[in-house]
Amino acid sequence: MSASDGHAGPGFAEPFARREIALVDVLDRLLAGGVVITGDITLRIADVDLVRIDLKALISAVNAQVPSPWPTAGEGGGDPGGRGAEPERAIEREAS
Amino acid sequence: MNDDLRYVYAVCRPPAAPLHADLTGVGGAPPRQLTHEGLVAVVSPVPERDFGREPLRAHLEDLRWLAETARAHQNVVAALATVTCPLPLRLATVFHDDSGVRAMLEDESERLHRILDRIDGHVEWGVKVWLGAASADGDGSGDSGSAAAASSRAPRSGRDYLRRRRAGNAAREEALARADVFARRLHGDLSRYAADARLHPVQSGPLTDAGSGRNILNSAYLVPRTWSEEFLELIGRTEGTRPGLRVEVTGPWAAYSFTDDPDAREEPHGGEGAARQDAGGTP
Amino acid sequence: MKMDLEPDTVERDLVALVLTVVELLRELMERQAVRRFESGELTEDQEERVGMTLMLLEDRMTRLRERYGLRPEDLNLDLGPLGPLLPRD
Repeated sequence: MSASDGHAGPGFAEPFARREIALVDVLDRLLAGGVVITGDITLRIADVDLVRIDLKALISAVNAQVPSPWPTAGEGGGDPGGRGAEPERAIEREAS
Repeated sequence: MNDDLRYVYAVCRPPAAPLHADLTGVGGAPPRQLTHEGLVAVVSPVPERDFGREPLRAHLEDLRWLAETARAHQNVVAALATVTCPLPLRLATVFHDDSGVRAMLEDESERLHRILDRIDGHVEWGVKVWLGAASADGDGSGDSGSAAAASSRAPRSGRDYLRRRRAGNAAREEALARADVFARRLHGDLSRYAADARLHPVQSGPLTDAGSGRNILNSAYLVPRTWSEEFLELIGRTEGTRPGLRVEVTGPWAAYSFTDDPDAREEPHGGEGAARQDAGGTP
Repeated sequence: MKMDLEPDTVERDLVALVLTVVELLRELMERQAVRRFESGELTEDQEERVGMTLMLLEDRMTRLRERYGLRPEDLNLDLGPLGPLLPRD
């Protein structure tokens, strides 16, 4: 389910309905998120140079650590009770 | 299910409720559940001619195939997310057969349990903040009405052109600074409702809509299911407080962005979860 | 992704690449000019001439772009970790 300006609607999305989720959001999660497991045929996306380069062009997310422009928690953002994680920059991509 | 390979979507805890009979996944086949010692792998049979190492590699370069496969994969994960908290796998995790999948569950059991513990009862919400595209003559985010009106006429002289450029640059700088302040505050506020948060690189590239403007914030939050409504309401309350900015929310997702091992130690090779700080207070 | 090697696509891609570089230079020049304008170190006559030149240059770029059906967003290079070549906004 996709929503703008926080109006996500009541309840959670009906998963079998055709939702208009932007491709970039799906690809970003499936290519750069999710658990990486080495299996017997597993193709690790990052192992394939050409694919990795194309992915870079696609979602601009395959990056080594991009330093956060913001101070880490403790300097700003106030985190009472220690809930809410320290924000971190960039998902650790397989690209290396 | 003969010589087909096994495509694995996600791992979860038993007993996962049966999935809808009409649900199809990658390759058009309905997913199955494979249980092994306290873990369930959700799999589909897929043909080797498409999902063997070499053909798969080739397919991954085809955007249409990639998009179709990704959406089918996400469909299954989303269906799972309505009945459990699945741990989604990265795209294209394929095994030879059922015993290959079971062996994986065996080998990875501890790590998978750790991650499942962390995400249990949570969903992921994605939040993006966009600074609207500048108007054609570069007057900034368009919230300075008088500047926009003034520049609708052509510059009257060379000096006039320079003057407008200077004003436009200043307006743009100011808009960026305000956007940054807003994004930081929003991230801080939202993080308080989340067990964990991730700042992703700003979104760009050919799949980004040209008219979207500039992405200022691209983050993900691991939110307890029961707090989702408050989480979204918080975002809703920012409306009207942020001229020139647009907030986009996606979700609820399975915890794609939070699948690193909570116990990961430093690894010399850039392994998943290495060099990532421990998230501190987990619920 | 596999590039479409139609002759006119190749030409268009090359033009886009060239115009991207030209656009970068144009923006750098403009920035320099505005900085010097702001600092008051130019004479009125210089301001007028520099401004006019930049104005004409921008106009020329727009027409070239449009002739090849290129939008402003098409003139850019993604340098990966370094971000885009030209500012996005």
